[in-house]
Amino acid sequence: MTTTIVLQQAINGIVLGSLYVLVALGLTLIYGVLVQINFAHADFVTLGAFAAYFFMHLVGANYLLAIGVAFAVGAALGWLINASVFMPLRRKGNELLPLIATIGVSVMMQNLMLAWFGPIPYAFETQYSNDVIRFAGIFVTWQNVIIIAVSGITIALLYAFMKFTFLGKALRAVSQDRETAGLMGINPNQLIMLTFVIASALAGMAGAMLAPVLVLTPFAGTSVIVKAFAIVIIGGFGNVEGTILAGLIVGLIESYTTQYLDPGLIDIVVFGLLLVMLAIKPTGLISERREENV
Amino acid sequence: MSDAALRPNAAAGRSSALPRRIGLLLAVIAITALPLIFNDTYWRTNLTICAINVLLALGLDFILGYAGQLNLGHSAFYGLGAYVSTLLIVKLGVPFWAAFAAGVAFSGFAGMFLSLFAVRLRGHYLAIASLGFAVIVHQILLNWIGLTQGPLGIYGIAPPPAIAIPGLPVIDFHNLMAFFYLVSGFTLLVYVLLDQLVRSPIGETLTAIREDEISAASLGINGAAWKVFAFGVGAAVGGAAGCFYASFVGTLVPDAFFVTEAFNILAMVIVGGMGTLIGPVFGAILLTLLPEVLRGIGDLRLVVYGAALTFVVLFMPGGLAQAARVVREKIGLGRRS
Repeated sequence: MTTTIVLQQAINGIVLGSLYVLVALGLTLIYGVLVQINFAHADFVTLGAFAAYFFMHLVGANYLLAIGVAFAVGAALGWLINASVFMPLRRKGNELLPLIATIGVSVMMQNLMLAWFGPIPYAFETQYSNDVIRFAGIFVTWQNVIIIAVSGITIALLYAFMKFTFLGKALRAVSQDRETAGLMGINPNQLIMLTFVIASALAGMAGAMLAPVLVLTPFAGTSVIVKAFAIVIIGGFGNVEGTILAGLIVGLIESYTTQYLDPGLIDIVVFGLLLVMLAIKPTGLISERREENV
Repeated sequence: MSDAALRPNAAAGRSSALPRRIGLLLAVIAITALPLIFNDTYWRTNLTICAINVLLALGLDFILGYAGQLNLGHSAFYGLGAYVSTLLIVKLGVPFWAAFAAGVAFSGFAGMFLSLFAVRLRGHYLAIASLGFAVIVHQILLNWIGLTQGPLGIYGIAPPPAIAIPGLPVIDFHNLMAFFYLVSGFTLLVYVLLDQLVRSPIGETLTAIREDEISAASLGINGAAWKVFAFGVGAAVGGAAGCFYASFVGTLVPDAFFVTEAFNILAMVIVGGMGTLIGPVFGAILLTLLPEVLRGIGDLRLVVYGAALTFVVLFMPGGLAQAARVVREKIGLGRRS
């Protein structure tokens, strides 16, 4: 009996955790190449969720297709915001100003969505939400199977891209040393744009899959992003493996806190862990050389 | 990456004593005149909220602009001041001003605690640590229902007790004008004290740490201790704003101190121009009144607010303080540096 509960919550935790990983990977990739925190990332998640919702309800399309649309919308928006705001700011070489700009962009996007979609939460149901598979006393919805499969494949592809392709290697080179990478004939601006587009696409896609779990309002992304920041730090800023590990851990913490303590305590436990991490090992679970800030 | 890029207003010179006295006089006149000009409830309420926000912006500017500490959790100190003072009054019947002092002290100590805790962190790490601190404080306020009544909130908080000076009419803080004078008078006092502080050797020490901590350490400056001091002062000022907010609005709900409030305060400091004291004053006033002035365009007003914030950062990174300096130099009034 108790083992089934533990297993059941493990599955719920992994489902949630893999979505957090998708959101947090975007943040960590952007931090890697830009050394910049992006608060507007939250709104890429929300907008992805709305894009999927409207695509499904207006066109009557399949959920899997809607996830693809959310991916594309996230990518397009990432390109737009980077070209119009972050690219010009990067030339000013200040660490605080782009952060404030991301807050400004975020306020703008949230309220545009508020004006269009209104404050009343949307009920996001997919055709897979109520399709249950049972084995050994554990329930898994097809929705959760899709989430684990899609995010697992995406994370694996991204990992392979970073490790084995030329572009991925160039990206890592830029995040290690932008100037030297530039001397090797890599154009940092193009790579930064690529990173931004990938990161935003991942966020949009995560939004489409998070929407059934979230209360879907224009401000839905904020609660996710705050947790994603905790994950990025716990995993080590700019560290892909650490982020994946930390995201899954946070997902599991969330499901077990809900089961054994109180859902209201989730953020306290997660951020308590964050502060303990910062006190003991500020470089994250898997540390790299990036130590100037600690 | 260092904090050295945190100072678009580093060139802001010190003004001499005379213009400062004139400025102080103008401030007193403005504070006296404003509630007489805007004499309806709506505008007097806005004016008081402005004064509270100016206090918040000053506290954060001291931490951010002078000590160079990237604090994204100022809403925590604001909320702690509000809740500690209110709970002391409501639950224990502590007199208002004693509870006020306790709220300010508690926030100050919370700031020092966070700074001590985060003493090894800098830049973005400190930013996320302070953000995490603000999330935890908000969640505690929300979930410790036995103490704070959680999302239901605390209602019917009384304003400060009336002051009766013999020979004068009783000053009753149910009166909006009296409350405005109280908060803005306190804010002006804080401004003058901070102004003295940043121009004293202590201010120079903080600037030295902000600019280059290692060089400062080589001169025997204990950077960690001064950062704790700066965090304590700024957080205590934020706590004072919280105490005033609770007794002014009369209602406390945890969501008033969500992390987005910290972003709003940060925006006031940036738009005004951090690293100056006068900049954030006008930044706070502008960003408090802008959404009110734009109320006519409904839902889009906060879109304009967000756009304004982005454009300031893109085109005027030193904020209003920088804009004023540029204008002064253009018309030949300012001393050239």
